[in-house]
Amino acid sequence: MKPNDDIAFLTMMGIAAMLLLFVGFLLVFIFMQRKKMGYQKSIQALRETQQNQLIEAAVRSEEEERHRIAEALHDEVGAILSSAKLHFQDIKEDNLDAQTRKRYKKGEELLGEAVIKIRDISHNLHSSILKEFGLNEAISHFMTKLTKDGMIQSTVSFDDHAPARTTANDMSIYRLVQELINNIIKHARAANINIRTFPTGDSFNLTIFHDGKGLSQQQYEELRFKKEGLGLKTIQNRIISLKGEIAFSQEPNGYYIRLHIPSI
Amino acid sequence: MDTLVRSILDWSEVWSLGIPLAVLAWKGTQPGVNKPVVYYLYFALFINLCIDLIWKFRTMIPEPYNGNNYLYNVHSIVRFLLFSIYFIRLQQPFLVRIKKLLVLAFLLFVVINFAFFEHFFNYRLLSSRLLSVEAIFLLFYTLQYYLFMLQVDEGISTNRSDFWVASGLGIYVAVNFFIFLLYNKLTTDLLNFAVIIWNVHNISYIILNLFLAKAFYEAKR
Repeated sequence: MKPNDDIAFLTMMGIAAMLLLFVGFLLVFIFMQRKKMGYQKSIQALRETQQNQLIEAAVRSEEEERHRIAEALHDEVGAILSSAKLHFQDIKEDNLDAQTRKRYKKGEELLGEAVIKIRDISHNLHSSILKEFGLNEAISHFMTKLTKDGMIQSTVSFDDHAPARTTANDMSIYRLVQELINNIIKHARAANINIRTFPTGDSFNLTIFHDGKGLSQQQYEELRFKKEGLGLKTIQNRIISLKGEIAFSQEPNGYYIRLHIPSI
Repeated sequence: MDTLVRSILDWSEVWSLGIPLAVLAWKGTQPGVNKPVVYYLYFALFINLCIDLIWKFRTMIPEPYNGNNYLYNVHSIVRFLLFSIYFIRLQQPFLVRIKKLLVLAFLLFVVINFAFFEHFFNYRLLSSRLLSVEAIFLLFYTLQYYLFMLQVDEGISTNRSDFWVASGLGIYVAVNFFIFLLYNKLTTDLLNFAVIIWNVHNISYIILNLFLAKAFYEAKR
């Protein structure tokens, strides 16, 4: 081989070696970065799963606690109050003077009110209607109770063709609707509330419309991370545990809240 | 057909700059960090146009001004300075002092080399020493970029503008290091081979410009 051929060969080999080294380095870099991102994604997914499990556990224990308190109120306090009322009714009114009779009547009235209140609180904490008649009926009943004083007008419409839902999610959906409606009454000061449900395939969709001062999606995203927005945090936790979606929107006629819960 | 391909390759140092410049015109102003690359493209377009025009009309230009090799020296110095500024302005907290010292070291090398060892306005030969040192220094900048990116959690790099700049430049300097290092020897001993091997440089320059175009595109996506 002539010296000039050596230089040409050396140049060619040098170019090839440098190119191979650099491309190899680049490929190793891309491979390592992809691997690192994959690992980070799996860690993130694991974290999310753990967080969801914690939220589910918190929601479940809250429901169990409500159930326990509801039972205690209904079976123990309610029973004692009912018994007290019976004893009260046994007192002969004829033997009482006018002043004492007046007090007796007031006492009986208050006792009756306490029995009703205890029953309402107990039902609110653990809806037996939900268990016996399903989600639609429980939401209807809840709205009827809220609007019976006439301050708020409400309409509830359900898809009649949809089968009555009796799923493990019903209690969470019911609580979610309760929390949303309570927020609308407390903060938005709405005069009209309309609830509509419609199933799409196996999933469950519910729309709440109101004419108060509601939230846009952006406001919801901002408020749900604030400490004082505890109600919104609870709503978000329930949405996460249901693996659903919630969307807030403002339209010319009022505010809409749309819930989408996929099938279990 | 041969003549057409040869012409395309000969003029590739000019027309290939049109690719990133077209993306620049299409996508609008680039973020501040890409400014040194943008300035490099305008500068390279001007100087490469001069280089190719001198080469094409060399028979009409009197001796010794019909050589364009000193323009490669100018190009090399400006390219190194603009790309080193680019890598420093990325503000990656990795080898910060070395990156700055490298600029000073390069300038010191240029002064010493052209004061004592080589003639800057040599119309017959480009400075193999200057271009190969520039290539090695730029290769260092690109490799330290990858090493830093492996340490941080900033998502997949192929979506990043700086990844495409570093990769394009890395391929260009890796391919050309040996061409630059041996080019003076090749032009004196193997002129035909030197002309052929310069086509490899031109192809790598097209690749560099394609990568810069992609970088501009990613920056505005």
